[in-house]
Amino acid sequence: MNSALSPKPNRSACAAALALAVLIVVTGGANAGVTGNVKTARLPNGLTVLVLENHKAPVATFNVFYQVGSRNEQAGKTGLSHLLEHLMFRGTKKLKPEEFSNLIQENGGMDNAFTTEDYTDYFEVINRDHLEVPIALEADRMANFEPKGFDSEKRVVMEERRLRTDDNPEDALDELTHAQAYVEHPYHWPVIGWMHDVAGLTLGDALQYHAVYYSPQNALIVAVGDFDANQVLKQIAGQFGSIGNGPKPPPLTQAEPAQQGERHAVLRHAANLPAFEESFHVPNLKSPDAYALEVASEILSDGKSSRLYKDLVVDQRMVVEVSASYELTSFDPPLFTIAAQARPGVRIEDVIAEIDRQVSALREQPVGAEELQKAKNLEQAEFVFGEDSIFRQAMLLGIYQMLGDYRMLDQYLARIDRVTAGDVQRAAQKYLVGSNRTTGVLVPTGLLPHEAGGGAPGGAVRHAAAMGGAGR
Amino acid sequence: MTVRRRLMVAALAAIGVALAGAPRARALDLKRMTLANGAALLVSEQHQLPMVTMELAFDAGSRRDPAGKEGLAALTASCLTLGTKTLSAAQFNQKVDFMGSSAGVSAGRDYATASLTSLGKYEDDTLRLLAQALTEPALRDDEIERKRAERVAAIRAEEEQPGYVAAVTFGKMLYGDAPYGHPAEGYADSVAKLTPDDVRNFYRGQYRMANAVIAVAGDVRAEEIKAKLEKALAPLSGAVAPQPEPPAPSVKPGLHPNLIDRNVAQANVVLGFGGIARSNPDYYRLLVMNYILGGGGFASRLMRVVRSKAGLAYSVGSGFNAGQFPGSFQAVLQTRNQSADEAIRLVLEQLREIQKQPVTDAELASAKKFLIGSFPLKLDRLSGIASFMLQVELYHLGLDYADRYPKLIGEVTRDDVLAVAKQYLHPGAVDLVVVANQHEAAIKAATLEAH
Repeated sequence: MNSALSPKPNRSACAAALALAVLIVVTGGANAGVTGNVKTARLPNGLTVLVLENHKAPVATFNVFYQVGSRNEQAGKTGLSHLLEHLMFRGTKKLKPEEFSNLIQENGGMDNAFTTEDYTDYFEVINRDHLEVPIALEADRMANFEPKGFDSEKRVVMEERRLRTDDNPEDALDELTHAQAYVEHPYHWPVIGWMHDVAGLTLGDALQYHAVYYSPQNALIVAVGDFDANQVLKQIAGQFGSIGNGPKPPPLTQAEPAQQGERHAVLRHAANLPAFEESFHVPNLKSPDAYALEVASEILSDGKSSRLYKDLVVDQRMVVEVSASYELTSFDPPLFTIAAQARPGVRIEDVIAEIDRQVSALREQPVGAEELQKAKNLEQAEFVFGEDSIFRQAMLLGIYQMLGDYRMLDQYLARIDRVTAGDVQRAAQKYLVGSNRTTGVLVPTGLLPHEAGGGAPGGAVRHAAAMGGAGR
Repeated sequence: MTVRRRLMVAALAAIGVALAGAPRARALDLKRMTLANGAALLVSEQHQLPMVTMELAFDAGSRRDPAGKEGLAALTASCLTLGTKTLSAAQFNQKVDFMGSSAGVSAGRDYATASLTSLGKYEDDTLRLLAQALTEPALRDDEIERKRAERVAAIRAEEEQPGYVAAVTFGKMLYGDAPYGHPAEGYADSVAKLTPDDVRNFYRGQYRMANAVIAVAGDVRAEEIKAKLEKALAPLSGAVAPQPEPPAPSVKPGLHPNLIDRNVAQANVVLGFGGIARSNPDYYRLLVMNYILGGGGFASRLMRVVRSKAGLAYSVGSGFNAGQFPGSFQAVLQTRNQSADEAIRLVLEQLREIQKQPVTDAELASAKKFLIGSFPLKLDRLSGIASFMLQVELYHLGLDYADRYPKLIGEVTRDDVLAVAKQYLHPGAVDLVVVANQHEAAIKAATLEAH
């Protein structure tokens, strides 16, 4: 582990501590956008808080974002961010394992958490009358982390990896393609970590990681719901205001060198249908090209009239599914990815050729005015539909704040609206090119153990035909 | 925007309100009306956002599939939006996408549901398109054959997922040829044999408004939407004859294993037996019992024993799948091949345990608090309100269901929980499916014969 990760700092979270006197409350300005009513505060310990009243239903969501994900990990210790996320449910100085979730559920709430390459989000959605419960509990596990049952939780994570990746050919292909596309940058490894690394992680690793990254200065709180914003700000300040900081997280220094030439990966895996994935290095929203790339992904695969769906699913009948994906809010430059699963009897080479044809078309001809408008309309509708979910509102506010300023969210639709056909074509010509491409091909080896040279069938068991799945 | 590789801690979540004092639920202001053609319409006006969500349920779910034509209901539903008398499939999709709307039809086990979500400004246009799809679908041979090939391929792809194979095999074992015995999408082989005439006949027979239920939530006026729907769906008059209820799955003493060999790292386990219909008056007692047993996420015994203590699985849970007809009870988990045997034994132990001893006061209180207290979370979004309204009407729960629910849960006692556990759990009469590398899993004869 990086030597910058020093011992656990001394901190305390006295539940009744009042940091109110120094609480600075700033109300969003006259801005008429989605974020106009957001109230923000920065506690003296550096914790940033965003709250937004939304009175549409008597519920509220509480989110604690920690600005740490797999990109902060070191080779050999991959999966640590995600394992720590699991351990956060395994008790504190005050709480027994799983007591956190039990208390939330007893108060009519649901809780969960997720880890990405960039950040970790702990969240509750709860009856508005009990919002003080997650506020107190989240403060407790920020300050008083003391997990029990480390070994069994690690086994749970290894089971999760088997479920999501090892027995899921398309996810396994995605993992391999990422690893091939990123050479130096930590996006090289999967969020869940390599199995061997996860197996070697220790409780000490997790405690040290918590000490460095789970500090107020590295966290962000976002609450949205049917409440009085000033009152909730006070509750948050009361619970979190006295928590001390650990050492400053080490700066991230890795950068991905420019790709110079096409790369290929091949995965032989238990499956019947071949699959394909190709990824191109692209910028995030810090580049104006991001919005053109977002529109390009819409044109390629959003809706049944999108180019890839219409061509490969409907007209050519080649694939079970096809998708283009791009996340412009990635903290570091992400990948623009196109993935497809072939139908039975279809050669993957033909699928690849057809996808190539569609990507070339994007480079060679400007998209038509109506098609461009359709992509923008889809973005706009999706944005409004998203506002129906307080959880999604909180997510977006959190992500944009971690990227610099939650108010950037207000510019999103306007930036999409400004994209021209020329912008999309230039972006395609610049990024969606062979020398910037990494391809991954899944070569299916069949589903039965003996087909992949696995163990011999057991003598004592009865074998039943798997629903037409076996032997095809 | 697409989702990146996110990892979530598994929580089989449920919803609720505080016990003392009924939970404050969203003001739904449900209005129930009947259209001239007989369909029930439920509306919840919600004017906070300029959007609308609509669901129309027809008695055209997969339980209506004729024998040998498994998947017909689902294929028919997916063919309805492949163009109309005046629009090609491509034109239809183009129009829907251009508005940023969604409009589609899909079939589940009990019902086929047409769904629509649109911005307020496109409500009329989107509704017109969906209504055209429902009242005058083109159902051309070539489009049906195209969709059929797509669905067969999709089923082949699903069959690569060990969890899917386990679930489908379990259903077949439990119900045999009964209406719930096959997956809604059908089998690859049965779908491949469906003809365009099959689809057109199923459509004509089952898409009838007198049995339909419509739920609308969003920025609408109840009287206006009623008039629009009445006009747009007028051609679908008539009723569907009710389907006789099939006998409930019989209790088969013993443990009936079906071990399927696959090259996988994890064993996918489904075990269970026959359950109840949604109309069973014990439904609420079973909801409480199952929350404690395996439905309550991290608060449940199965999660505590199999995941939190033993570290054997990422996800484990149980549930009664109650529908129009008696459904199943299932416990589902995944664990590495080598620990399948142990995990199965732990689950069966928990089924027997909850039949022996009353649950604790704390467990009962905790379950009730969650089930009641989280209820408003179901009504957080328009889509949740629309589904809620469909349930209310389809399962005859009454417009005051949200108000009655806290009492239905609140009055359940420890004795009730013990009684329903004894009556409805059958750890000695289990269908068991294990999709695994059977050599590694080495399920022991003792496990299979212990009952």
